[in-house]
Amino acid sequence: MKTVAVIPAYFEGSRIARVITDVKAFVDEVVVVDDGSTDITTKTARAAGAKVFRHAVNRGQGAALRTGTEAALKLGADIVVHLDADGQHDPVTIPALVKEIEAGSDVVFGSRFLGAEAVGMPAHRKYLLGLAKTFNRLALGISSRVTDPQSGYRALSAKAAQRVDFRQDRMAHCSEILRLVTRSDLAWKEIPTTVRYTEETLAKGQKATDAFKIVWQLILGAFQR
Amino acid sequence: MIIQFLLTLIAIAGFALVWRRASQGVLSRIESLSWSVLWIAGVIVVWLPEVASRLARLVGVGRGVDVITYLVLALVCILLFQAFLAIDRLERKLTDMVRADALRDLESKE
Repeated sequence: MKTVAVIPAYFEGSRIARVITDVKAFVDEVVVVDDGSTDITTKTARAAGAKVFRHAVNRGQGAALRTGTEAALKLGADIVVHLDADGQHDPVTIPALVKEIEAGSDVVFGSRFLGAEAVGMPAHRKYLLGLAKTFNRLALGISSRVTDPQSGYRALSAKAAQRVDFRQDRMAHCSEILRLVTRSDLAWKEIPTTVRYTEETLAKGQKATDAFKIVWQLILGAFQR
Repeated sequence: MIIQFLLTLIAIAGFALVWRRASQGVLSRIESLSWSVLWIAGVIVVWLPEVASRLARLVGVGRGVDVITYLVLALVCILLFQAFLAIDRLERKLTDMVRADALRDLESKE
C-alpha cells in the first residue's frame, strides 16, 4: 500500500528539512504544501526530497491540508498521513497509524490522551483541550469516545480521504474533520501518540485566544453549503 | 414636521431602490418583501409614533423609541452576520482558486 505523508508548511524553512528526512523513513512519498511562505520553505522542502505544492497566497492550515490530500490521492496514495511541519508529531507513530488502516480502519487519529505522555504541554493547554472536548460533544455532536479534540496527527484510507469533505481553511479543520468522521459510517479509532512541545512550537502554535476564532469559524461554516 | 417629511422621503427612496434592485435580479423576492415591510413600518412609526409606544407596552419595554432602538440593533447584527457570511463565501472561493493553481502541474501531467 502506498503511504503518502501530507505536511502543510508556512514559514518553516528552518525546520522542514529535518521533519521531511525523519518522515521519509516511514512513508513512500512526502507531500509538502507551502502555504504562501516567502522564505526558503519550498526550496528546502524540494531539496529534502518532498513533492512541493505552493499556495500563491496564505490560505491556512486546513486549506493546505486539503490541497495536500488531493495531491496525495492524485499521486496514487492508498493511505494519507497528516502531520505538522514543526516536528511536534513524532514520525515513529506512522507505522502504528498505517497498521490500523491496513487492519480495516478508515481513519485513525493520534491522541495525546491515551497514555503516551505529551512532552512539555503547558497546563493551560490541557485545560483548554478539556473545554474543547466538551464543546465538541455538546455543540458539534462529536462522539464522546474522542479523547483528543484537536489532534492534527491522523491517517486516512484513500476512500476516507475522498469522502471527508472538510472545508474549514484555518484552525477549525480539526474539529470539522472529527465531526465529519465520527458522524459518518467510516470506521475510526484513536491510538496513543507522543507530541513534543518546545518553546519554538509553542511560540508559533495555537494560542488560548484561538479557541474563540475556532468557534467563530465553525459558526460561520455551519451556515455555508 | 420637517424631520417626518425627510424620513418619509428617505423611506420612499429606499423602497424604490429595493424594487429597482429586485427587477434587476440583485435581490430575491423574499429579500425585497422584507425590506419593503421595513420601510413601510418606518413610515408608519414616523407618522404614528403611538404605534411604537403601543408595541413597547405590548412587549414590556418602557418607551416606543426604546423598542425601535432594540429592533434596529437586532437588524444591524443580522446584516453584519450576513456580511461575515459573504466574506467567508468569498474566502472559500479564493481557496478553491489557489488550490487549483497549486495543483495545476499535477493536472497537466495526468
